Amino acid sequence: MSQTNQSLNAEQLRSQLEGIAQQHGIRQWDLGAACSTDTSVQVDRGEPKQLKGAQRSSITIRVWNSEGLVGTTSTSDLSQSGLERALSGARDAAAFGNAEETPAFSPLATAPLTALDQPLHQPQGILKLLEQLKAAEHDLLGRHQAISTVPYNGLAERSSERIYLNSDGACRQQQLTTASIYLYARAEESGRKPRSSGAVRLAYGASDLDIAGCIDEAAERTISHLDYAPVETGRYTCVLSPEAFLDLIGAFSNLFNARSVLDGVSLSQKDSIGQSLAVPFLSIDDNGLHPGNIGASNFDGEGTPTRKLSLLEGGVLKNFLHSEATARAFGVAPTGHAGLGAKVSVGPDWFEIGPTPGTSGGQSGLDRFKADQPIIWIDSLSALHAGVKASQGSFSLPFDGWLIKGGEARSIDAATVAGDIRQVLNAIVGFEGEAKVTPDGLCPMVWVEGLSITGEA
Amino acid sequence: MIASIPSHAELLLGPFDQRWSPRLESLLAMGKAAGADLVEIFLERTDHLGVLAEQDTITSVTPAFGMGAGIRVFRDQRDGFVSTNDLSEAGLTTALTQALGMLGLDLDGTGLSGFEGLPALRDFALEKNLWLSSCPELTESTQKLLEGTAQLQQKGKHLQARRGSYARDWQEVMVAASDGTFGRDIRLHQSVGLNVLAADGDHRAGVGRRYGTSDSPDDLRQWDVAQAADEVCTSAGNMLYADYVEAGQMPAVLANRFGGVIFHEACGHLLETTQVERGTTPFAEKVGETIAHEAVTAIDEGLTGGAFGSLSMDDEGLEAQRTVLIENGVLKRFLSDRAGELRTGHARTGSGRRQSHTFAAASRMRNTYIAAGPHQPEDLIASVDRGLYCKSMGGGSVGPTGQFNFAVEEGYLIEDGKLTKPVKGATLIGEAKEVMPRISMCANDLELAAGFCGSVSGSIFVTVGQPHIKVDSITVGGR
Repeated sequence: MSQTNQSLNAEQLRSQLEGIAQQHGIRQWDLGAACSTDTSVQVDRGEPKQLKGAQRSSITIRVWNSEGLVGTTSTSDLSQSGLERALSGARDAAAFGNAEETPAFSPLATAPLTALDQPLHQPQGILKLLEQLKAAEHDLLGRHQAISTVPYNGLAERSSERIYLNSDGACRQQQLTTASIYLYARAEESGRKPRSSGAVRLAYGASDLDIAGCIDEAAERTISHLDYAPVETGRYTCVLSPEAFLDLIGAFSNLFNARSVLDGVSLSQKDSIGQSLAVPFLSIDDNGLHPGNIGASNFDGEGTPTRKLSLLEGGVLKNFLHSEATARAFGVAPTGHAGLGAKVSVGPDWFEIGPTPGTSGGQSGLDRFKADQPIIWIDSLSALHAGVKASQGSFSLPFDGWLIKGGEARSIDAATVAGDIRQVLNAIVGFEGEAKVTPDGLCPMVWVEGLSITGEA
Repeated sequence: MIASIPSHAELLLGPFDQRWSPRLESLLAMGKAAGADLVEIFLERTDHLGVLAEQDTITSVTPAFGMGAGIRVFRDQRDGFVSTNDLSEAGLTTALTQALGMLGLDLDGTGLSGFEGLPALRDFALEKNLWLSSCPELTESTQKLLEGTAQLQQKGKHLQARRGSYARDWQEVMVAASDGTFGRDIRLHQSVGLNVLAADGDHRAGVGRRYGTSDSPDDLRQWDVAQAADEVCTSAGNMLYADYVEAGQMPAVLANRFGGVIFHEACGHLLETTQVERGTTPFAEKVGETIAHEAVTAIDEGLTGGAFGSLSMDDEGLEAQRTVLIENGVLKRFLSDRAGELRTGHARTGSGRRQSHTFAAASRMRNTYIAAGPHQPEDLIASVDRGLYCKSMGGGSVGPTGQFNFAVEEGYLIEDGKLTKPVKGATLIGEAKEVMPRISMCANDLELAAGFCGSVSGSIFVTVGQPHIKVDSITVGGR
């Protein structure tokens, strides 16, 4: 009997795999499996544009051969013949496994997991999603006469399930429902360039989405960019929005990534723990379990429990993110940040950024509208895939934002911000406002001095 | 003679061929009878191999395979799309039912289908059935990559990390639609990349190059490893001690090959009908008007032999074409797919493309390039008093208002008409409408380069290209 696209049966999958493995003389294996059902809608000026549904299933199998080398194979074919082919393919690939660094099962693959409060929602159905999005678009179009279209929009709901199993008996399983809405409006006034901005919201179900908040934010941001001017090239004190600062830290997360350290492509070295990387009042934690992390998982690709991990405290590097193999190389425990593969990837979950408890947190009472110098307020960064040189530390990125002078903010026409992440971390002046929950983490506004801005003035 | 109906297992084990016709015809007829204007079914089978070599060791071998279907239903100007991994009759019927339901239609419809059945299969893959088995085996591909990282070690200095990567993507597709489309094709893409990180004290330079071709199982075997390693190491050596570029407005000369990413990002995306539909292109009403300097002729086609973006038929079953987008500065055509033709009136150009069965096809670029001009490349550099020479580009993107950006991976200052010192950290930004008229000179050295393009229908194989071109003024972001 085959698995279906709509659900995974862990025990049935284990039974199938054990049978096939036995036939092929395979004694050690593990797998990660996932399936999902997605429904999404897009609209265009009151009409449905595209309605989309998808049922996906996938599985990645790792096999250790008789010499202890590891091979993997992935497939979307969960039929008996698909599983057989995947298992034998992984065994064949194991002949090319890396003898110098062989992954093993995580020693924590059966450790207790932290329970997550993730209510499961029934899907609303595509026609209701469509009506909600049409209403949202209509509302947004009515907010300002210059807003003529909402060219990028979508309302989606997803039901998903993932499993980790291994031949030592580990079994992890998670079910999740999520929903999202994004609204990016385009506004244009006569004789002026078109301007665009938007907002996103996530929730565990479509009925919980803050659609009104998304409309308000998209409208406010788009309208705020209508009155724009070029900015002069120079060095400025910049205030990065929580989203922008989190994007920057995420782009340079190789600073904290043990895999990157071992591969020689991190800005950190194996002995960097304990070194100062930033101003003495900056803390960065990785906390995939934070309740604001919609879609959190309580185990990683190797079955290791997710947990909160201090990365920077008082500006000092405290820990690296690890998989089983990197943790073994460093003589520590896996931290719950692994993928699944022959060479296991490592990545962050969700950042918490802010002042180190017990420190002053830099300059106090910062308010970008009361500054006595021109301030660049960076709202969002673009093209990180192209403008970030992660292994070099440098970046040069287009951004949307405002120039604040004398308490007045005016949108900036095309401009870029450039710098080096190590200099940025040591040029933080302080924080403004309360930390905000975003899809990528928790962070207040961050003041950084001396960043290079290129404008067209 | 009546042929026996093959079982599901027989269908899945063999190639996509005429035997699928009864199952597909049944689905198409059901969809039409339910009230759909058009029903399209896209079947896909894939086989992927990825290999990674780091320093002198193979560190990852990642085979993957899969199959699936995407069913799209049109009614009036709307469409519903559902994808599934389940190619059984029940699975496909469920997907069709869901797609119809999105448009308020159901299989209980008693209308006449008006569907007259599928014609004989147009099989573009007749000569391609042995491609997958003719590709290099794992032993051969791993050896070739290790040869690459060894060449890097031999040719480079201060190298902290060396990587070679290989990806082989085989895809078999079948497209059937109720308008009589019935085609099959096999695509084969192979790409290899070399990357280094050079480090000396505080100086660091990360340089990478990727080479990609299509439709030839021997491509990896014929890859000139030494030349590729030489190119990467020379670039890393030049960039290791480079200063950051000084920001500002300046003329720029963009090298051929991957320099073509500027046209791809700045203009090409704005000539897709998906952008017309969204109202996000400034060129929507400009066909027949001058939108670029008269030196610029730009083409998008799917025909160049072995190019990364070439295809025998698009993902909607239409044969690839050569589409002149801009001729001597005048906008001639948009790239259009089935939905684009329906919603904008621009005729299809064989440009309906998608990453996989999980995406509906959309109008996308194939091999896109600016045509060669009359000048020698050195003439362009000689014409600049002070500016930037962009020898190698990183990636880029275009926003919803037509604003583009892309990173310069390897740049040099131009001073008094000559290349002087290397500079790093440059980003070029601008708007297509403003930059296209500033491309004032095109050289005679057109070359193409392989790339990947991510957009509404996923990540697809494309080619960018151009000769050396001169942009009279562009904003260079730096420090």
